[in-house]
Amino acid sequence: MDTLNFIEKIKSGEIDIVEHTEKILEECRQINKEYGYLNTISENLALGQAKEIKKQLKSKDKKIKNKKLLGIAVSVKDAICVKDVETTAGSKILRGYKPLFDAFVIQRIKEEGGMIIGKTSQDEFGFGTFSINSAFGIPKNPFDRERSCGGSSGGAAGLSQKLKNHIALGESTGGSIATPSSFCGVYGLCPTYGRVSRHGLIDFSNSMDKIGPIGKTIEDVALLMDIIAGHDKNDSTSLNAKSEDYEKYLKKPIKGMKIGIIKEAFGQGVEREVEKNVYNGIEELEEEGAKAEEISLELPIKYGIPTYYMIATSEASTNLAKYCGMRYGASEKLEGSFNEYFTKVRSNNFGEEAKRRIILGTFARMAGYRDAFYLKAAKVRTLMINEYKKAFKKFDALVSPTSPMLPPKFSEIEKLTPLQHYLADVMTVSPNVAGLPHLNVPVGFEKNLPVGMLLIADHLQEGKLIQLGSAVEKGK
Amino acid sequence: MKFQSDVVIGLEVHCELSTKTKLFCPCPTKGNEEPNTRTCPICLGHPGSKPVLNKKAVEFALKLCLALNCEISPELIFSRKSYFYPDMAKNYQITQYDIPLGRKGKLKIGNKEIGITRVHMEEDPASLVHPAGMKESAYVLVDYNRSGNPLVEIVTEPDLTSPDEARDFMKQLITVLGYLEIFDINKGIIKADANISIKESNYTRVEIKNITGFREIERALLYEVKRQKEAVKIGQETRSWDSERGITFSLRKKETEEDYGYIIDTDLVVTEIEDKWVNGIRKHMPELAQDKVKKFIQKYKLKKEDAEIIAAGKQLAEMFEKVAQEIDPLLAAKWLRRELLRVLNYSKKELHETGINEKHMIDLLKLIEAKKITDNVAAKILEKLVEKPFDVKEHVKKEGLEAVSDISELEKYCREAIEENPKAVDDYKKGEAKALNFIVGKVMQKTKGKATPKEVNEILMRMIK
Repeated sequence: MDTLNFIEKIKSGEIDIVEHTEKILEECRQINKEYGYLNTISENLALGQAKEIKKQLKSKDKKIKNKKLLGIAVSVKDAICVKDVETTAGSKILRGYKPLFDAFVIQRIKEEGGMIIGKTSQDEFGFGTFSINSAFGIPKNPFDRERSCGGSSGGAAGLSQKLKNHIALGESTGGSIATPSSFCGVYGLCPTYGRVSRHGLIDFSNSMDKIGPIGKTIEDVALLMDIIAGHDKNDSTSLNAKSEDYEKYLKKPIKGMKIGIIKEAFGQGVEREVEKNVYNGIEELEEEGAKAEEISLELPIKYGIPTYYMIATSEASTNLAKYCGMRYGASEKLEGSFNEYFTKVRSNNFGEEAKRRIILGTFARMAGYRDAFYLKAAKVRTLMINEYKKAFKKFDALVSPTSPMLPPKFSEIEKLTPLQHYLADVMTVSPNVAGLPHLNVPVGFEKNLPVGMLLIADHLQEGKLIQLGSAVEKGK
Repeated sequence: MKFQSDVVIGLEVHCELSTKTKLFCPCPTKGNEEPNTRTCPICLGHPGSKPVLNKKAVEFALKLCLALNCEISPELIFSRKSYFYPDMAKNYQITQYDIPLGRKGKLKIGNKEIGITRVHMEEDPASLVHPAGMKESAYVLVDYNRSGNPLVEIVTEPDLTSPDEARDFMKQLITVLGYLEIFDINKGIIKADANISIKESNYTRVEIKNITGFREIERALLYEVKRQKEAVKIGQETRSWDSERGITFSLRKKETEEDYGYIIDTDLVVTEIEDKWVNGIRKHMPELAQDKVKKFIQKYKLKKEDAEIIAAGKQLAEMFEKVAQEIDPLLAAKWLRRELLRVLNYSKKELHETGINEKHMIDLLKLIEAKKITDNVAAKILEKLVEKPFDVKEHVKKEGLEAVSDISELEKYCREAIEENPKAVDDYKKGEAKALNFIVGKVMQKTKGKATPKEVNEILMRMIK
């Protein structure tokens, strides 16, 4: 049953919203036992919302019937603040922290009748590609529990595959929406930087963080995108762009659209099964009337990783400074000087990857290195944006694999060095650095594991991505 | 004590801007003083909160840049200055680094121009409370009410050559801030860090932190000059001013510059400082104290000293200009500068706290000009006005304070006094000039001050011959 039909049944009363919510929450608990997708199940909040919706449906107030997400369960990546619900960003240092306010996106979802069912598991503060850097549960791949969900929005993508009548809110800094969506076989849209307000998003890298929808269908993704996109005066970086009806791009013909196949993103370093399925996806686009042709984009593949990690860790190391056990989150026995105290809090409560990135980022912005690393990275970022912009003069979208690999086994990941970890982000970091919208489209299965294709569009062209994604979905 | 140019001083002044709300959140900057009541997730640095720039604060800072003749940056960019300290909500301070809002300005003190290196904006940290004093407290309390208040930092060139010049600079700067109405002269906080070096130590730079107010700056620097002259060896270091004990003490020896790992704060977009905006502000810039001094001297023929004192406060200066429209400017200057300021000083009040306006002064001075009241009576009225304003003309009428100008009445009082004080009359006749003053005093008592001593003097001299 598709989402819009479901919403109609909620509106008509054919499905009792409270009973349905209880059922969904029970389902979450069952799924969680096996897969570990949720750090917190916000039972009271969801049931409270359901009861309120039921009351309003019975009343004469017709406004409730205009709500676009009525009765749809929405899960929220743990880095996004939900008022009074524990929000940890996957870090022990924020254990027990309950925000005083709702993020902008949460306000919007509540306004449209979406029910907040819980907080999904993730890498600590978004630091990872496989969702293994979590202080809490590690989410397991919905197709093979010995494999990774991808990261950092691993719980969000996994739950989207497993739970019906549900859409997830993910967040991406360097690929954290696309990669887990690819590994879990779902659609994940990372919007243009600034298209969705970051107000209430716990910062990883302020100049790159983006909230976006993850869903089992492209329709779900378009529906949630409709609701969360838009200007917010509480986020200075929020774009004041015209609002869009993303759903109108669904099923819109793609005949004549031009697709650029990024030459450097295929071949060496990419698993053959992945490549094969992505080419299949491109063929499907061509069958629907799109024109695909190769384009060389050297900078993004060559310099994406160092540029991304310099900027991201520099910003992250300042963002994480606030966690010192003084006002919220984890605390330790109060003794010693301030320096001794916060050192103890941070030593005991940050995970290894968080510590690594703080050290890297602090180093990159110190006097003497600042010019060579942080400022150099900022310059390369501008060059990358220019190269992309040039490509978008010719193409409506660019295409590459989302990940060079199939979802790896946890035992394989253990063997990777930190640098090999970082290299796994090769396809996704560059559009993130450039603030470009991108979409993971599931294109096939190999060894019973999903493969994803990455579509990248120019700034504010999310509509084109939905249009193309919808065409591939139709083709299946 | 005057020092020659063998003393080199540069200042970094931090001044609180008097906006209604904080620099990056809607919390009020003033109001409830109970600790941690004027706070929100933004100024407490809660996860997920985002700063939003207060444009009014930028406008205030731009006014200052214009008043200090600065070159204004076309873009306002904020950076994060990272260091761990308990008064920092985020363990970084949002401030400006590479590109300050204003550069290459100047401020005149007397005939000398002091170079302004930069003017930039930043947020105030929280305040720390040591319940049992700085050294003894086992713990420290943090009050975030101040956290996120808007500050401007003004950095001077090392152009100051003595502690009293530094004081003059601070005084002049506060006057400018007051005229621009961007700083609360009475309640706002203004702090300075000073770099000072002397010839004897081969100009080794010593930094003194935590000097509050313009009176303190001179004290601290005088102490430091003396200390440096007497010390055997001066090393580069940072010291703190202890106002209570009147000494500076070492905080840390400085080997290298501290590294704050500045990066741009990408939560705040770059704000364009458009010419249109700056010109709009320029158009509404008030006439500043130094312009007023010039005008008072040229147009109203005031003495330089009087002009400077009257111009030092914006309200007094504006009152003077209005009064001078209707009253002889020299008389007005005399009464505002000497009597009004004396009375205010005595009652420990600021002009704006009293409710005295130009009408009060014009009424009062008109009565003086027309010799309807004596200076004595006028001074007493002023004292009462400071307590609580009233209609001067009515008050004089109601209290019967009009000067006794009727000669026959005055002669009557004089005759009485002569009769009642025969000894003094005798003494005067014997050549004791002072004795006459005694009789004048008696007459003045009888008239309750409504006669002028000069007149009484003349009548008495005529009568006692």
